[in-house]
Amino acid sequence: MQQGSGTTKFVRADGPDKVTGSGRYAADMVLPGMLFAAFRYAEVSHARIVELDVEAARSMPGVLAVLTDDDVPDVRYGAGVADRTLFARGVVRFEGEVVAAVAATTPEAARSAADAIVFEYEELPAIVDVEQAIEPVSPLVHAGWEDYEASTERGHNVASYSSITLGDTDTALAAAHTVVTSRYVADASHAVPIEPRAVLAQWEGDKVTIWSSTQVPFDAQAGVCETLEMPANRVRVVVPHLGGGFGGKCGFHFEAHVAALARAARRPVKLVFTRREEFTAPDRRREGMVIELTSGLDADGRIVARTGEVLIDCGAYIADGAFFPQVASMHIAGPYSIPNVSIEASLVYTNHQPSGSVRAPTAPQGCWAVESHTDELAETVGLDPVEFRRLNAVREGATGPSGQVYGPIGLLDCIDAAVASASYGTDLAADEAVGVAVGWWPTFAVPSGAYVKINGDGSGQIITGAQECGTGSVMTLCQLAAEEVGLNPEDFQLVYQDTAAGPWDMGATGSQTLVNNGRAVVAASQQIADALKKLAADQLEASPDDIELLEGQARVVGTPAASIAIGELAAIAAGGELLLGHGSGPPPVAPEISATCVGDQGMAAWVAPQFSCHAIRVKVDRDTGVVRVLSVAAAHDSGTIINPMGAQGQVHGGVLMGIGQALSEGTVYDDRGNQMNPGLLEYKLQTIADAPPISIDFVGVAAPDGGPRGSKGIAEAPNVATAAAIANGIAKVVGARLTQLPMKPERVWEASSGAAEAGGR
Amino acid sequence: MQFVIAETLEHALELMASGSRPIAGGTDLVVGARQGKEPLPDALVAIDRLGVLASIDGGTGEDGEIVIGACVSHATIAGHGDIIDLVPGLADGSSLVGSPATRHVGTIGGNIMNASPAMDTGAPLLAAGAAVEVASTRGSRLLAVADLWLGPGQTSVDSDELCVAVHIPRPGPRTSSAYVRLEYRRTMEIAVVGAGAQVSLSDDGSVASASVALTAVAPVIIAVQGLSEVVGLQPGEAARTVARLASEQSRPISDLRASDRYRRHTVGVMASRAVLAACRRAAGEEIAVPVNRSEGIGAGYPGDAVANTTADGVEL
Ligand SMILES: Cc1cc2nc3c(=O)[nH]c(=O)nc-3n(C[C@H](O)[C@H](O)[C@H](O)COP(=O)(O)OP(=O)(O)OC[C@H]3O[C@@H](n4cnc5c(N)ncnc54)[C@H](O)[C@@H]3O)c2cc1C
Repeated sequence: MQQGSGTTKFVRADGPDKVTGSGRYAADMVLPGMLFAAFRYAEVSHARIVELDVEAARSMPGVLAVLTDDDVPDVRYGAGVADRTLFARGVVRFEGEVVAAVAATTPEAARSAADAIVFEYEELPAIVDVEQAIEPVSPLVHAGWEDYEASTERGHNVASYSSITLGDTDTALAAAHTVVTSRYVADASHAVPIEPRAVLAQWEGDKVTIWSSTQVPFDAQAGVCETLEMPANRVRVVVPHLGGGFGGKCGFHFEAHVAALARAARRPVKLVFTRREEFTAPDRRREGMVIELTSGLDADGRIVARTGEVLIDCGAYIADGAFFPQVASMHIAGPYSIPNVSIEASLVYTNHQPSGSVRAPTAPQGCWAVESHTDELAETVGLDPVEFRRLNAVREGATGPSGQVYGPIGLLDCIDAAVASASYGTDLAADEAVGVAVGWWPTFAVPSGAYVKINGDGSGQIITGAQECGTGSVMTLCQLAAEEVGLNPEDFQLVYQDTAAGPWDMGATGSQTLVNNGRAVVAASQQIADALKKLAADQLEASPDDIELLEGQARVVGTPAASIAIGELAAIAAGGELLLGHGSGPPPVAPEISATCVGDQGMAAWVAPQFSCHAIRVKVDRDTGVVRVLSVAAAHDSGTIINPMGAQGQVHGGVLMGIGQALSEGTVYDDRGNQMNPGLLEYKLQTIADAPPISIDFVGVAAPDGGPRGSKGIAEAPNVATAAAIANGIAKVVGARLTQLPMKPERVWEASSGAAEAGGR
Repeated sequence: MQFVIAETLEHALELMASGSRPIAGGTDLVVGARQGKEPLPDALVAIDRLGVLASIDGGTGEDGEIVIGACVSHATIAGHGDIIDLVPGLADGSSLVGSPATRHVGTIGGNIMNASPAMDTGAPLLAAGAAVEVASTRGSRLLAVADLWLGPGQTSVDSDELCVAVHIPRPGPRTSSAYVRLEYRRTMEIAVVGAGAQVSLSDDGSVASASVALTAVAPVIIAVQGLSEVVGLQPGEAARTVARLASEQSRPISDLRASDRYRRHTVGVMASRAVLAACRRAAGEEIAVPVNRSEGIGAGYPGDAVANTTADGVEL
């Protein structure tokens, strides 16, 4: 395994706080005079509001504020399509839509007042099936959609459409030696952070401070500014310890509701979600998908053409889903060299809870479909699935399905490493098999910023806008700063998760912290390094160009005896020009592509793409359909690994989340669009007792267009190919394909007994 | 709301006579209230500190009966030598309950009095022919567990009666038991279906007598009828017959966890596996508790016992 540039074993700075219980989460916070918030939800997935009367609730004891759409600025918001208001207006479009909000002196008083709000409605037909929703005869989720401000390509119940076209698929398919068509359906699922969210808001004059369990404080801040019509410098979002997110806490959620309540009540107000609310109210659900794809092969088993159609269940509002169709299309294409590609994808409005970025949105589902299909292709031409992938996978110099030509990438290395670690090809018991799948995921190149200062005593501080959601990535920044200025990572302390302190950052989303904020921290640290070198040069009577900063010392290169402690230089600076650095650095530029993209969201040209191969050994109890994952070999090209321990943690977590998506995690809806399992009893997460041994190989190909030291992202990639590899293992054992995700025991049993009846194994 | 910690058994019975509901571990009562199943009662009497309800007699009495106090925890049962020796099926059941935390506070009395059709000690107790001892200020009585459950959450016991103990007849020679359940994950799970079996073997290794009970396939735990059919059969044949009878006699519902069709099929699979494990134990083979882990039933498989403990050796 390739080790990162980091030499020391890296212990997360927030670990002791979390383990001992001394750490504070948003729900732990208490302010004098604080009130409690409760929401009144639609609890019906599609209805016209007939009456909304809050007078009785307002006059209940202990109630200090009750708000509805009438009480907040008239603002429609939404990224890509402005389809949303803070409170329901005229129509409710999913069961968790907020109709009204209450602030009262106790949680119980708030709850009873919310229940006492008179909310009468006329039910409308629930639109719950994406295939029916796009038919012109289907009723609309948003009757007035054509009047919404939008920057996406839209249509009938389609919030965002996108296509990727390369070459000529008609001709290529007509000439193909073999053509295979498959259809796959993925159920929706959830992020399920262990901490249900909490938001606390307090006003001082015309400024508001909001403590929120968000992964994206600047996004939350922007949402508050937009909906409450405030300037950014009056809205401060602070994030205490975050109890996980997995994408579920990305986006702007309830910060404005709570801030508006606190302003109306003239008291601090706190909102704490129950588990049920965490399942039903946020616009962050992993989208259900219907995927149809067709591939043509030549006589040697090369993929010559692929067409695909993807329908993605958007739910009631677009949230951050505008780019989903394009990223889903890339996954249906897969990391293969295919000269003729035509894939269309639509994000389809329904009366389900809105979908939003959950750890690699659309990718595990798309990868599961395409990699199941890939095994079908291999079988058709009589090739071993691994050989088939080696033949078709993208590699350095090759052209990918959007026409991007790749620089140094390690997909083939990933395949080699994973199949070797999994002892692929050795004999196994009849109820066991190793399934293999490859996956990919972009690195997001976005702006970011950081300040670095060295105090008079030689200790350092990084003030960053980056957010921590449990990945440890922000803490890795200390390592980068330390390497630049010649100190130890422990010499640095972080100030972060506070929009009033740090410069803008996209947040704990898109696996982007190390790549983008790392770049900013390196840039800021380089300013300090330059200043230190100048100071040292003065002291040591040398040229700044000849000074190196190492192990706490500034030294003249080649003359180790001529040195001065960086602490001493810091003391000198403290009496003169202070050691301050600020950095952002230009984000890498998106590569050229040759495909035609309608509804382009910038997701077909991938900076520093990440690749992976998972080889997973499964065992299937054919009599019950229960699948157990016995071991996982995960190989990843995430560029240079800066912090091996942190990167491994991401793979462990991503794989386990992927196993859940594969086998047990699926949201079940009734035919009126209501969730039937919004709780941890019936929504089955994997537990630590289910965790298999996971071996990890980082193939470590430095990315020329990546982040510091040639790094890429890592946090989302590990659950991309997990469900896919498990599916291929199951199919080998039972002799049939599972065409719906999750591959629950009953579905495996049905497929297995169907195969047995059909004369299979 | 009134919450009283009972000082003596009599104290608890008096409070129950005046309308208090007992609370032992609270893992059903409190969690159920939180989930909106039923609000917490107005008056509760906590019985978890009553030492008289917390002991196990592993058959020292003259009839050799095993007597388990109502407040004995699942963790205690799962690790108790006499129970593992004599009624391992019950230990199998208790060791599957929830998580370590649930097993430490959850009690056998709470489990059976909660009367869930998915309870994990019900089938092993029914297969073992157990009886429940209940007491009130009016006196005490013994009733067969077969007569205890009326429906989900309903028992034939009066509201002022406290379960004080469970009595299990001492199994004869070459007799043993096992309980297995279908589970989708290895901890924090609830039985999709389950089966408990108690089997006595003849000297030739054939089945001399068998009783089998089923979990989560009817409104209550049910006993499989017609098991005289398996007397004289070798274990494999007996297990196949029991599987057929179990599937035929089950009356499962369809819900989020499984369809009725799938439950009907898998309860047969579980019943067959329970019978086979009970036969092997009766023949003297040691199969560690719970069978689900040591034999790979449900989500567990032989050979991956490592995964039953964390890297630091903490049992899961
Ligand atoms: C996370 C979790 C996982 C679980 N997993 C399982 C599982 O795998 N299998 C399973 O079977 N159960 C499971 N349970 C349910 C529960 O833990 C068990 O049923 C447990 O045995 C209940 O015991 P208790 O002492 O907590 O009961 P309590 O909640 O205290 O009481 C339950 C009911 O019985 C009554 N009661 C209690 N003691 C007596 C008595 N001595 N006499 C008369 N009435 C009494 C109470 O009034 C109440 O109605 C789980 C629960 C949780 C929270």
